[in-house]
Amino acid sequence: MRLKYIPVYAGSFEEQLSFYTDKLGFKIVSKIPFYEGAECTLLETGNYDVLLAISKRNLHTNLKSCIILNTDDCLSDHHTLKALGVEFFTEPQYQPIGLVAEFTDPCGNKFVLLEERDYNN
Amino acid sequence: MDYSRTLRNNNKIYCRTTSKQNELQCCDDFNIRFVLSGSESYHLGRRHLSIHPDSFLILNKGTQYASSVLSNDPARTFSINFDQKFLVDFKNCWLQKHDRLLNRQCFSQKIEEEFNETIYPFRGDIKYNIFHLKSHLDNGVQDELLINEYLHHCLINYYKIYNDEIFEKAEKLNFLNSSTRVEILRRLNLAKEYLYSNFNTNVTLEDLAEHACLSVNHLLRTFKQAFNLTPHQFLIQLRLQRAQLLLKTTPYSINEIVGMVGFECPSSFIRLFRTHYKVTPLKFRKNA
Repeated sequence: MRLKYIPVYAGSFEEQLSFYTDKLGFKIVSKIPFYEGAECTLLETGNYDVLLAISKRNLHTNLKSCIILNTDDCLSDHHTLKALGVEFFTEPQYQPIGLVAEFTDPCGNKFVLLEERDYNN
Repeated sequence: MDYSRTLRNNNKIYCRTTSKQNELQCCDDFNIRFVLSGSESYHLGRRHLSIHPDSFLILNKGTQYASSVLSNDPARTFSINFDQKFLVDFKNCWLQKHDRLLNRQCFSQKIEEEFNETIYPFRGDIKYNIFHLKSHLDNGVQDELLINEYLHHCLINYYKIYNDEIFEKAEKLNFLNSSTRVEILRRLNLAKEYLYSNFNTNVTLEDLAEHACLSVNHLLRTFKQAFNLTPHQFLIQLRLQRAQLLLKTTPYSINEIVGMVGFECPSSFIRLFRTHYKVTPLKFRKNA
């Protein structure tokens, strides 16, 4: 058993898709009919095998999500995304796990940009 | 790769490989100095401070210093000079939000400034941020907004370290009078930087106490209160930490490293290393 798809609430599908592909740089992998009558677009978020699934109909995914994105360099990614017009509601902050900045997508899903840091060395 | 960058707001960043001695010079700005490999020694008046890759040094505007390379190999240094205006802006916008830092009644601005010129541990967030910044600069990144963002975060990190190393430690001292606490901590810091700078020599408690202007008993008692370690434990920890670094980054043999970090015999070094890190030095090197 492993984690494979994360369905994401999409208010406005087109806007959401362009936010994910143009700003966050996710790549469309394929489209699959997930539920009866609801086609899901699968998005790859990096070199991981967990995919995001967004669809026009939200009967099954009508809850907003909180998604944690991993980065090697939070300050740099924060800077790049900000320049692309992504609105952050917290600036990079130091937490016990590392450096964290948070933003939302156009329909309110929360994204956490996380750079994990090892403080034991 | 050597380079220097002067940003439009007059912050300056230098990355240099140096093996020579530098004559007496004066700091134009508040600056933070790191040594990425090798080691450097700074002479500030009568104080001799040496920086290794596990520590960094703060110099204030107007401080006179001379520096020289301590290690056999050239030292790779990285330093940032902060423009006065950038510092003031930083203090206004960030420190006001976090006024628990530095705004404590017993520490005036003056104390802050004369206190900070010492050696601090280079680890945690500041290390991550400096390495990220350096890798951007090495790759020729031109975006000054991004570079300044890192510089801003370096200051955040520095003030956090300053808070941990100075305020928190001062509060641990058992003296009712706050100005006594400040004075004792100032002297303990002298002792600490003496250990940082003479870690590989045979430091005696008498030397250390004399350097810190405290009696041996007083030093032992207050050092332990502030740093939770006796000076001897602190020294051993420092030696082991620097041995770890040498094991990881240089090809020197264990016997050579034992001498370089100031231990007298390899067997006691190996025993201490194993107790401390639960691994022998050789295994540690293999896994590194």
